[in-house]
Amino acid sequence: MVFSWLHLAIILFLVVGILFAGGPLILASLVAPRARGGDIGMPYECGMRPYGSSWTKFGVNYYVYALIFLAFDVDVLYLFPVAVQYHLTEGWLAFFKVFIFLVFLGLSVIYFWAKGVFTWPHKIRL
Amino acid sequence: MNGIATELIRIVVGLVAVAAFVGLNGLVLVYAERKGAGHFQRRPGPFEVGPHGVIQPIADALKLIGKQLFTPENADPFLFWLAPLLSFFPVLLLFVPLPFGPVLTVWEVDLGLLLILAFAGINVLALLLAGWASNNKYGLLGAGRAVAQSVAYEIPLLLTVLAIAFQSGTLNLSTIVSQQGSWPWQWNIVTQPLAFIIYLISALGETNRAPFDLPEAESELTAGFHTEYSGMGFGMFFLAEYANMIVVSGVCTALFLGGWKGPFVDGFWWYLVKVYALLGAMIWFRWTYPRVRFDQLLNINWKWLLPLATLNLLGTAFLMKVF
Repeated sequence: MVFSWLHLAIILFLVVGILFAGGPLILASLVAPRARGGDIGMPYECGMRPYGSSWTKFGVNYYVYALIFLAFDVDVLYLFPVAVQYHLTEGWLAFFKVFIFLVFLGLSVIYFWAKGVFTWPHKIRL
Repeated sequence: MNGIATELIRIVVGLVAVAAFVGLNGLVLVYAERKGAGHFQRRPGPFEVGPHGVIQPIADALKLIGKQLFTPENADPFLFWLAPLLSFFPVLLLFVPLPFGPVLTVWEVDLGLLLILAFAGINVLALLLAGWASNNKYGLLGAGRAVAQSVAYEIPLLLTVLAIAFQSGTLNLSTIVSQQGSWPWQWNIVTQPLAFIIYLISALGETNRAPFDLPEAESELTAGFHTEYSGMGFGMFFLAEYANMIVVSGVCTALFLGGWKGPFVDGFWWYLVKVYALLGAMIWFRWTYPRVRFDQLLNINWKWLLPLATLNLLGTAFLMKVF
């Protein structure tokens, strides 16, 4: 792959993006007061003393949604090359290929629907 | 040598222009949002600083810079401060392929749509890091919600964008604009009305705007993932959110509303008018609709938007073969 102007532009924009965000932060750390001591660093929980760390085990009941996302998002990416070429195709074969692809994608949602994921049960058996 | 110089100048000028636009636009939108919120609730909004409070956003920015940056105890300081930087990291790049005018594009990218969609995903990571690293229970819950939501709303967004890409046969935003005509009935919104509505709803979900602002729902999670951020740390998330709002509106304008084309005289002013009309609509939605519940939010997406977007894509593919 040849290094093109676009790559330079992408790198420059990303670097400047970091600087754009970092500048005000550095400025603020120079200008702002530095109070310390007392409960100033206590995690904010509406005035209550936090009970234990928040880095504990807890049930993320929407991890199943992440599974459907994986199934969907990765597959949808395959449609981008198809999108560019689709208007050049002739005949109905191309449509049937897209149709079969999308039907199988749709089946994944129907599967999760049938398993009752969208009713938020306490325990989901897949 | 001469060619190299012009290309470098184009990139640098574009960089400066985009950075200025993002900063300035942050000020304009803060003012518009506060003023809009005020008038929707039958109060004048900011009124003290300058005539009708126009200097209020600058005062806000100065106040944010003057606030102490706290790192909470037990937090992971590296990840905690990486998160606001990371949330702003891709924002400027997202403006590169946006066609502001016939020649007013920083760089015309053949895969412009894919570039925007790919780099916009980094924002989710920043929200997750912010919530997790601050070691705050509200933050963690907000981060979990942010990820579940952004991930969910990305798919209908992709599918509606794909419908336009199928129809235009390109992922280059400038080409998509040039295929549309000047008058409203020549825009893609006429051929893809369903895709436009789905895009608008998922764009609200993607940018965590009300009525889908569950990650930072202040009545239940204080401020969600940015509970622990003070001063400029919060300011960066805020600025990144506003910049992302322009990007989704800008993509929407290019895809559905004819981009820089408009009745009588084409030009960048039409693009700006359309983008700000969409932004105004987003502000309007925020102060009009109540916030939905989180399971409702996810279920609207998976039960309605996603099947509809898939059917819309299938219909587009079918009709392209018929005609």
